Amino acid sequence: MAINILIVDDSGVMRAMILKTLRMAQVPLGDIHEAENGQKGFDLLDQQWVDLVIVDINMPVMNGEEMLDRMKENLEMKDIPVIVISTEGSKARIERLEHKGAVFIHKPFSAETVRDTINDILGFGDNDESQT
Amino acid sequence: MRAKLEKILSQVTIETLEKLAFMFAFTNEGEESYPTGPMSVASVSFTGPFSGTLVMMISTEVLQELTFNMLGLEEEAEITEDQRYDALKETMNIICGNLLPAIAGDEVVFNIDVPRILPKDIEVKKGAGFPDEREPSARVNFDLDEGQCSLILFLNGRIPEDIVLL
Repeated sequence: MAINILIVDDSGVMRAMILKTLRMAQVPLGDIHEAENGQKGFDLLDQQWVDLVIVDINMPVMNGEEMLDRMKENLEMKDIPVIVISTEGSKARIERLEHKGAVFIHKPFSAETVRDTINDILGFGDNDESQT
Repeated sequence: MRAKLEKILSQVTIETLEKLAFMFAFTNEGEESYPTGPMSVASVSFTGPFSGTLVMMISTEVLQELTFNMLGLEEEAEITEDQRYDALKETMNIICGNLLPAIAGDEVVFNIDVPRILPKDIEVKKGAGFPDEREPSARVNFDLDEGQCSLILFLNGRIPEDIVLL
């Protein structure tokens, strides 16, 4: 099963890095959408079918936590899995995001961490043929 | 205090460059001068239990390689100045984001501003042209295959006594 992913980060270089990492990790990719802030990401979710959102926290216009909050208030978006990839180092802030249902990955990240996290939250097993 | 800060700054920078861009940096302990030749300079400010600014000076060749590696491009590929600056700002963001909890632990909260690129002709001696003319609280120079970079930390005041350097 190919997964449609939305990558939200204000850095174009970081969005490219995340996409490169997804390819290195052999994640079965469907359509990849990109947005440079939470508002554009949220608008895109309204128009496209997305299986997984990968979002940064510190962004202009709308940050990642606000986007997550708005997703949770929306019946069609509230169950979409969210991975936060950020430099955030505060335990309290990370726990707050986790309580909102996000899975946290710290920057800088490895391809293995991204792959394992996606496998965990989307329920892919080690023997899942879709990943080969 | 300065020696501890420089050790932490060194470790965080080396780990970040390696994990982020597969680049291996070595601390240049005996070198007092800043990188020479064409370079880019970026800064990021932060507030929290203590506040300050982190500055990175990076030679053009190192920044070029950093950008190529972050983007996963071959060296023949064309990259723009915007991409180089974006890569530098993201690197600064990651170094600063990892530096502060390495100094103060993960129980405290910091707010990190958006990194910014400083003018190329900035005067760098003794911190002039940076936040003000203070002496840095920590400074570490690094050698890489492609050139040099320096990380310079300016703190506003002292680190509170209840923050124990890790």
